[in-house]
Amino acid sequence: MGKASFVVRRTLQLVVTLWAVGTVLFGLFRLMPGDPTSYVVSSQMTQEARRQIIESYGLNEPLYVQYIKFLQNLVVLDFGQSFHSNQPVTQVIATYLPNTLVLMLTAFIAAYTIGITLGVLSGWYRGSRFERSTVITALTARSVPTFYVGLIVLWIFGAELGVIPMSGMTSLGTQNAGFWEMVFSVDFLQHLLAPALVLGFYFMGYPLLIMRSSMLEVLSEDFIDVCRAKGLKERTIMFKHAARNAMLPVVTAAAIALGYAVGGSVLIETVFAWPGIGREMVRAVLRRDFPVAQGTFIVLAATIIILNFVADLAYGYLDPRVTYD
Amino acid sequence: MSLLEVEDLEVYYETEDGPAQAVDGVSFELEEGENLGIVGESGCGKTTLAKSIIGILPDAGYVNGGEIRFKGDDLTDMTGAQRRRLKWEEISMVAQSAMNSLDPVYTIREQIVEAIETHRPGTGRTESTEIVTEMFELVGLDPDRADDYPHQFSGGMRQRAMIAMALALEPSLILADEPTTALDVIMQDQILKRMGKIQDEVNSSMLVITHDVSVVAETCDRVLVMYAGKVAEEGPVEEIFGQPYHPYTIGLKRAFPNIRKPTQDLLSIAGYPPELVDPPTGCRFAERCPMATDRCREEEPEAHQMNGLRSYCHYAEDIDTELRPYADNPETWSQTAAARKAETGNVGGD
Repeated sequence: MGKASFVVRRTLQLVVTLWAVGTVLFGLFRLMPGDPTSYVVSSQMTQEARRQIIESYGLNEPLYVQYIKFLQNLVVLDFGQSFHSNQPVTQVIATYLPNTLVLMLTAFIAAYTIGITLGVLSGWYRGSRFERSTVITALTARSVPTFYVGLIVLWIFGAELGVIPMSGMTSLGTQNAGFWEMVFSVDFLQHLLAPALVLGFYFMGYPLLIMRSSMLEVLSEDFIDVCRAKGLKERTIMFKHAARNAMLPVVTAAAIALGYAVGGSVLIETVFAWPGIGREMVRAVLRRDFPVAQGTFIVLAATIIILNFVADLAYGYLDPRVTYD
Repeated sequence: MSLLEVEDLEVYYETEDGPAQAVDGVSFELEEGENLGIVGESGCGKTTLAKSIIGILPDAGYVNGGEIRFKGDDLTDMTGAQRRRLKWEEISMVAQSAMNSLDPVYTIREQIVEAIETHRPGTGRTESTEIVTEMFELVGLDPDRADDYPHQFSGGMRQRAMIAMALALEPSLILADEPTTALDVIMQDQILKRMGKIQDEVNSSMLVITHDVSVVAETCDRVLVMYAGKVAEEGPVEEIFGQPYHPYTIGLKRAFPNIRKPTQDLLSIAGYPPELVDPPTGCRFAERCPMATDRCREEEPEAHQMNGLRSYCHYAEDIDTELRPYADNPETWSQTAAARKAETGNVGGD
C-alpha cells in the first residue's frame, strides 16, 4: 500500500475520531446538572417570552433532532451562537485562539529548540557535569506545576521588582491596528515574556529527556563507530548522524505534546490572565454557555487529533524504514 | 619501512576496579599488500587492537604506551585533526557486524559520497557517482541500487555495500573486523574471494580480525594469535596452522574441524581467559596450559624465533622434541579439565 492510500485511510480515521469527540461533547453538556436556559431566561419573564427564547435556540426540540442539527452544523464549522454574547462561536474562537497560539507556539518552539539541543549534547557528553546538571534541571522543570512557577514569577518579578506586567496581553488602553501589529509591539512582547518563559521551561524537559535517552541508544550503534572511522567531524557525527536518528521518537512526542499544549493552556492563561481559548473555555463552562464550551472543546480536541496525524506523516518522512502498510 | 609497525602497544580501559589491560605489549609489522590475520577468543583484545589503529577507541579506552607507526609516522603522537585526515583515506574498516554499520536514514550512495567529500572536498558529483558505480560493480552490487536505504538490502548486500564504502578511497590499509561472521558459509566464501580479488586490484593491506580460523586460512599470508591481550604466536599461516610452537595455538588448532582428519574429536580448552584488570604474572596462558610449569607462572615468556615463527612460550625450543606429541593428544587437554575440576572441588571443600 502506498503513501496516498495511507493518507486517505488516516483521514477517514480522523473524521471518525472527530465525530466521536463531537458526540461525546454533545452528550456531556446535556448531562451536566443545571439548566442552560437559566442564563438567557430570567425568572421575571413571562412564560411566553421564555418559550420563545428557548425555541429560538432550538432547545425545545427532541434530543435526536438537536443532535442531528449539531452534526450538520459541525460539518460546516458552525458552532452556533454564544448564549452569553450572542456572537457566533466561530467568532469567539477566532478572537481567542490566535492569542493562545502565539503564547503556546512561542514557548513551544523555544522549548523544543533548546530542549532538543541540550538533549543531544547531554547524550553526547554522557557522564559529564554538564549532563548531570541538565538532567536535574529537566526533571525539576517537568515536576514543578506551571501555575505555581507562574505565581512565583509574578510575585517576584511582577509585584516585588515590577519588571514585568502583572496580567493580560497588552496594557490597558492600548489600541492596535490589527492582530499582527499587536504581536510585534513592544508592549505585547513585554506581556508575553513571563508566561512564555514559564511555559517554555516546563515544555523543555520532555524533549530534553527523550532526546538524551534516544541519543544514548543511537550512540551505541555500530554505524556511529563507522562514522568516526570515516573521519567525520565530531559535530557532523553528533548532529547529522546521531541526532538525526535519535530525533524520531521526539517528533512523535512533539506533535502530541503540542496538541496538549494548546489544550492545556487553561492554567497558565488563568494565572497570567491571558485572554486565550483555554481561559475562555473555563469561563464558558462556568456560565453554562453551551455553544462556546462545545466549540472550544472541539477546537482543542481537533488540534490534538490533527497534530497526531501530522506526526504520523512526519515520521514516514523522517524514517525511510517506515512503510505505509 | 613497513606499512604498519605496532610496537609494544598497550591499550587500557578504565574500569571501576582499575585499568583493564586489553592490549598489553603487542608488536607486529604489516607489509604493503600483505594480509595479516589476528585470531583469538572473544575478549582477547583483537577488536581493541583494531580500534586503536584506526583511532576509534571508546571514551574509557586509551593508549597507555607503545607506538603505532603508519608509513613511518606514529599515530599515537598525532592530533585529532591529523588522524582524521588519515581515516578512511589511508585506513578504513569493515566493522564488526557490518550489518548494522550503515546509517539507516541515509541512502548507501549518500554515505559513500559523504566519505569521499569529507576527505576530498571539491569532488564533483559526476566523479563521486563514478566512484560509487565502480565500487558497487567491484563488490558485485547493481549500481542502480545505490540510492536504496540500508534496510532495502539483504544482509549479504549490506555487507558488500560496507566493503564498497571501505574501498571507495582506495586506502592502503583495511581493517576487517569479523567481516563475515553474520553471513552463511556460501555468502562468506563469495565475499572473501571477492575481497581478495579487489585487494589485488587496489593493492591494499588488510588486517583480518576473526575468531574463525578458516577465514584466516583463506585470506591471510600471516597470522597473529592473541591470548588475553598479548601475542601468543605469530608467523606465516601455513606454519602457524601446520607446526605451531605455542601450546595455545596447538589447542586452538584442535578446536576447529580438520578436513583431512574428519573423525578427529574437537577439543575445547578448559577454563577461561584471566582477568585483565589484574592479570597473573608469568605467561597468561599458564593457568589453562596442560604443560605449564612453575616457571610459566612466574616468568613472562620472551619471543622465541622458531622456524619463521615468533612464539611467546618458554619451551618453544622443546616443543618439537618433547611437548608436541603430548600436546597433540586430546587427552592431555581433557585431563587438565578434569584436574581443574578436582582442584576447584577441593578448594570448595576446604
